[in-house]
Amino acid sequence: MSVTPSRVPVTVLTGFLGSGKTTLLNRILSENHGKRIAVIENEFGEVGVDSELVIGAEEELFETNNGCICCTVRGDLIRILGQLMKRRDRFDYILIETTGMADPGPVAQTFFLDDELKNTFQLDAIVTMVDARHFEQHVGELNEPAEQVAFADLVLLNKTDLVDAAALERIESRIRGINGTAKILRTRNADAPIDQVLNVGAFDLNRALAVDQAFLEPEYPFEWGGVYQLAAGDYLLRTAGEHDHHAHDHDDHDHDHDHDHDHDHDHEHQHADLDIALLPVTAASAASLNDAIEKAVRAFAEPATVVACHGEIPDPGHYAIDLSHPGADFKVSIGKPGAYALFCEHHPGEFGLRLEGQKAIAERRFASHHHQDDIRSIGISDPRPLDPAKLNQWLDYLLKSRGQDIFRMKGVLNVKGEDRRQVFHGVHMMFDAQPERPWGSAPRVNNLVFIGRGLDRAELEAGFESAVAR
Amino acid sequence: MAAKQSLSFALHPRASIPFDDYLADCAWSPDGTQLAIAGGEGKVALLSAASESPALVVIGEHLLGTLAIAWQPRAARFASAGQDGSVALWDAASARELKRWKPGIGAPQALQYSPSGELLAIAAGKTVSLWSPEGEKLHAFPAAASTAVALAFDKPGTDIGVALNGEIAVHRVEKSRYETRRYKWPAPCLTVNFSGNGRFLASGMADGSLHFWNRSTGKDSQMRGYDGRVQLVGWSDNSRYLASSAGNDVVLWDFSGRGPEGTRPIVLSGHTDRVDTLGWQPGGEHLLSGGRDWRLALWRPGKAREPIDVQMTDSGVTAVRWSPDGKRVAVGEKQGRVTLFELSAR
Repeated sequence: MSVTPSRVPVTVLTGFLGSGKTTLLNRILSENHGKRIAVIENEFGEVGVDSELVIGAEEELFETNNGCICCTVRGDLIRILGQLMKRRDRFDYILIETTGMADPGPVAQTFFLDDELKNTFQLDAIVTMVDARHFEQHVGELNEPAEQVAFADLVLLNKTDLVDAAALERIESRIRGINGTAKILRTRNADAPIDQVLNVGAFDLNRALAVDQAFLEPEYPFEWGGVYQLAAGDYLLRTAGEHDHHAHDHDDHDHDHDHDHDHDHDHEHQHADLDIALLPVTAASAASLNDAIEKAVRAFAEPATVVACHGEIPDPGHYAIDLSHPGADFKVSIGKPGAYALFCEHHPGEFGLRLEGQKAIAERRFASHHHQDDIRSIGISDPRPLDPAKLNQWLDYLLKSRGQDIFRMKGVLNVKGEDRRQVFHGVHMMFDAQPERPWGSAPRVNNLVFIGRGLDRAELEAGFESAVAR
Repeated sequence: MAAKQSLSFALHPRASIPFDDYLADCAWSPDGTQLAIAGGEGKVALLSAASESPALVVIGEHLLGTLAIAWQPRAARFASAGQDGSVALWDAASARELKRWKPGIGAPQALQYSPSGELLAIAAGKTVSLWSPEGEKLHAFPAAASTAVALAFDKPGTDIGVALNGEIAVHRVEKSRYETRRYKWPAPCLTVNFSGNGRFLASGMADGSLHFWNRSTGKDSQMRGYDGRVQLVGWSDNSRYLASSAGNDVVLWDFSGRGPEGTRPIVLSGHTDRVDTLGWQPGGEHLLSGGRDWRLALWRPGKAREPIDVQMTDSGVTAVRWSPDGKRVAVGEKQGRVTLFELSAR
């Protein structure tokens, strides 16, 4: 007799001050999408926008009484949501806008608090607006911008018209370094297509967990690879920007950068030099590029030959090219014609780096390893079936010991004796898990993603190992 | 047989009136002739409940939804509070709005008249304030650290309890002397319920527990095992039972004898979906529960574990309110309907 209406989707919109949240919100509200949207804002003052509803809220946090300090929810939100449900013609959608400095955790966690909330609302996605012009500055000074990116399912990289292409690549790479699984959309004036912002289904356990496969691969010392078909002769590998020929003497100037190649160097400044590997491959194809990955890893393990600005790359091998000056170029000499792969430590777009006159026939991005932020993402992909009891033990321990540092956690699990995929999603240590569709003939594999502060890959892998069925 | 006699009561529908709003709550006039109705979408209405064919008139509105409604004892006047931040006073005879004001920052979550009708207490945001029946401000208690989500006067009207995050603050309001006593528990309190005999103070909590304090000793007890937030709590008129619900079941704690500590509660199972409203009969021992399963269940705790009567409704039940004489019940529904039932022998 009882009628269970479908759950109302909820989007949590975060972003630093001035990132363009209000612009996006106004666009969503004014666009003719046929939805009845209720907006909950983090301040008082109710304004009815046409048929829409905007309600103010005062952030009121409370801890759930399970002995964990990271399990914080929003009491004000629960009351307002309850009030919104006291309407016969229910809203199609709820948008919650957080303040610029807000931690989106408690807002998202509220929807995991109890069955009543879980049965009434469906958290759709956490959308984080990033101001391209100020992100690099803010992320270096404050915790919130990186945390907001860490929580995101979708990042809108906004105001892209106010920075150059290299900066955009750099920012995007940095966002990837923090959050390896969020989708990134570039926008100018918060002009993302509404259907890509709403109904994303990021927390929908029934949808296949969409995790970028590249992210689940092992980390490589390079973020990009491309293959070229090259005739014998000299080529110019050059960066964007005009070289100022009067600024310094090229013959013997001192490079004031060091050649420290660990990944902790400070990316607030221009990259000093970039590690690349040039390798001959069997064919200029995507397949041969993939085949060359292992070779590239070995090449990157060898010491790099340092090449100064306007220097030469005479043979295939591992080089560290100096990019400290704008408009740097390097002569690449190809003796034997054929297919060559070029692997770069960072995405070449960050520097506008290109092999002049040549286009990569196939190229591929690899997981970002910008680890200058203490928040990062770690993916584990492993086919071995897990022991349910040991899995619980591990997750229980992990959440008790690291729940505060783990902002997001999601995965599809291959549990021994279970024909269906076990899917879970969590925000800090509040999470939702359920069996999903059967594996059928698909290869059974565990894919787990953790996004958090100070995560230790070795520790997570050891934990995973402890849960493998013996 | 005594049990047979007590089981012979049933609900008889007398009138069912559509209301163009989600019926969030309603309040009987002290003489039982009228019903003030609060709509979840914002309407405020008045129903002539005693007439042969009751008529419902919408008399006003709160933008964004009505949050609370209360009838002034010994008067033909009631008050309503809305998500728009305002409180309105209404004259029942003329069906007119007398006054409207914003008592504080934030939406007023609760309002209650003292038993004498001389005080109107309003919880708006973090502040509880006291007003005359004419809407003149008498006193405001210092702002709390969290939003006041519920309030209640005790039976003599000397104390007012306020549900806050982490405590029930009990303000003494006798003779304009304002003292506060705090009953603490580290969880958000959602309800405040004084037992009619004055001995206990209970509160439903967001951590899935029910808490009660012995008011004379200050000793407290916690009752756990609920599925979620305990939002429904109510004492039987004789203070013997404390009813509560956080799911499909109604959970009763028996306070007779040595009290409920160490005992198992009486679990009343009959609903197939969440219970959204509970009401004890004034001057009697019947309990009514209404749920999202479009069902109204009448219970006679201590005599039967099964409902002694079940009535189906047209949509989810949102409010059951007994008339002051305990002979009739107003039942509100989600899809906008109020049905008047009479409790009588089968």
